[in-house]
Amino acid sequence: MSAPAAPVTDGVGPVVASWDGSDLAERRARAAQSFWTAVVGVPAIFSVLRLGVEAGGELQTTLLLVANVGPVNLLAGFLTTAARLLSTGLVAVFALGAVLRVSVDRMPAGVRRPLFVRWMDIVPAWFVLAGFLLALVTWQLLYLPLLIPAFVAAFQLTPARLHEQWVPRLLLLAALFVGYAWLLAPTLVEAGRQGELLALLLLVAPPLLALGITGPLPAAVIRPLASVTEAAVLAMLVWAALPVISTPVLPLTVTTVEPAPGVTEDVRGHIVTVDDVNVVLLQERGGVRYVPVDQVRAQVLCPSEAELPRHRLRIRDFHVEDSLLEGMGRRVRPVHRIDAACRVVR
Amino acid sequence: MNAFSSHRLRSVATTLAVALTLSLAAAAGCDNRRDPPLPSVLDKLRESHIDGQPRIRIGVAATEPLMGELRNGTYTGFDVEIARYIASSLGFEGDQRIEFVPLATEDRIPALQGGVADLVVSSFSMTEERKKLVSFAGPYFVTTQEVMVPNRLKDRIRTIEDLRRPEYKICTSGGSTTEAELEKHQVRALVVKRVGDCVKGIREGRYDAVSSDETILAGFLSQYPTEFEIVDMPFGTSETLGIGVPIGDPALRDLVAFFLDKSYQQGRQGLSSPWLTAYNRTLGPWMKQPKVQPQPLDVPKLVDFDDKAPTR
Repeated sequence: MSAPAAPVTDGVGPVVASWDGSDLAERRARAAQSFWTAVVGVPAIFSVLRLGVEAGGELQTTLLLVANVGPVNLLAGFLTTAARLLSTGLVAVFALGAVLRVSVDRMPAGVRRPLFVRWMDIVPAWFVLAGFLLALVTWQLLYLPLLIPAFVAAFQLTPARLHEQWVPRLLLLAALFVGYAWLLAPTLVEAGRQGELLALLLLVAPPLLALGITGPLPAAVIRPLASVTEAAVLAMLVWAALPVISTPVLPLTVTTVEPAPGVTEDVRGHIVTVDDVNVVLLQERGGVRYVPVDQVRAQVLCPSEAELPRHRLRIRDFHVEDSLLEGMGRRVRPVHRIDAACRVVR
Repeated sequence: MNAFSSHRLRSVATTLAVALTLSLAAAAGCDNRRDPPLPSVLDKLRESHIDGQPRIRIGVAATEPLMGELRNGTYTGFDVEIARYIASSLGFEGDQRIEFVPLATEDRIPALQGGVADLVVSSFSMTEERKKLVSFAGPYFVTTQEVMVPNRLKDRIRTIEDLRRPEYKICTSGGSTTEAELEKHQVRALVVKRVGDCVKGIREGRYDAVSSDETILAGFLSQYPTEFEIVDMPFGTSETLGIGVPIGDPALRDLVAFFLDKSYQQGRQGLSSPWLTAYNRTLGPWMKQPKVQPQPLDVPKLVDFDDKAPTR
């Protein structure tokens, strides 16, 4: 996957034979520029844009947030909520780029290589691997099997790579499948019982698809696939980015305030900052509220509604909607108590 | 030719695999964005009539030691502890968010019907007749009917036959299942408003025995341990105590059943549960045989934030 020193050749003849050296170098540099701009720039722009969304579209509130949320906090907050989206985008680009790259030699010489292929040409192997590792630890377990065909496609791992001879190759494959089936068997039975067809398909189909995903595509498919998938990946990123933009970057709390003796009020919102005089709360229903510090009686951290699970399936006691990281975290701190104040105050 | 066709087959397989993987990924993306299919605790809370109330009103007994008693301005007892657990689960943590409504036995159903109480946790037996008027979540306790006699009569009143004798005045509270059960056994009972009145009457010599649930009697026994004795009589029926909910609020009933079941599941795993804590602090030391939480019935499947926590 490391950047090849020369244009890709493979028996058929040099693919980019018509390009001269300087042209190629320039194209490469441009591709590298566009790729790294996308990787670094998109998260940076997103993390600033979402502040405006979080502030409820109010200019002064946005400025208050900008003044109080440091760049490191902003980036860390963004990565926590958007790592899944980021790794999905990277994995999609790498897998599609690699499939298109092995197919591209079927195209007439001199034809412009698809964008993803050019990106794959310049991306170092370690970055591809890092993208997959990020996906491995941040994707929900239910979608993790999809990473198998994506990984196999990105590195073009044909079954032949397992062993040169047929019999050991088949045995190795059989062992891998048996291991996979053993790991998931109780979950599959439970999914069948609950009638969760999509979950069943998402867990069973990907390893089978991984067997056939390597190798070149027919020439007729390449061009439409390249343009359609480029548009699709872009559309997916935009579609998936909308909820990420609206995911709050500040933690949600319920603060009990006592403005007068014996009178208490609960305020649901995000803490922007605390100083000697005030606690500044960005209320969930909108608006900023300055609460004098000596009026604060209690404060609890609350989960947001987006965290409610959609499935009732577990893989070896890991909930299918947890990522590996979240699942391991729950083992470190297994008890999660929802504070009563989070339930009623809205 | 052979090599060519296998090459072709390979590309068709690749095309198919790529297309299927992409569709599967798209399906996964859509699945991730759809609303949760199962109702959540929050959905049910919004449906229920307690949503938005500053305080929850819970009907309890004020004169039944160990179950529900008002002592020095604070409510104590097993039912009260269960009420506090349910209230805090519903979002009403702490006594400042709970309004305890003292209820006599016969006032429990009218209180729910008339909207005086949002819930009733007051030794409320789940019976078919009552289920036509109010909803029940539970059971949270299984009890039996017993008779408590003063020490002076403990050798003379031992059977149901003895209760039928005209020289003994048997007392019970009105509107209770005990009253109906005594009638069934042709025991003529004097009906008063509260079991406490019976106990007071016995101490003053007006009655000779009191019949009620073993939990309520255990409470009075705990108050006067040297004056009374509970006599085990084969009334034959067991009472299942449930939490009364207005019949028009199925969402609230579901929530209460869900939280009772949560405590039940904790207890089954061998962990300390809110039920067990309440039992040990109140009834536990006074029961002849130790009890465990019964399995609640008709528990809905609800999604909650802690669903992803490890189960073991």
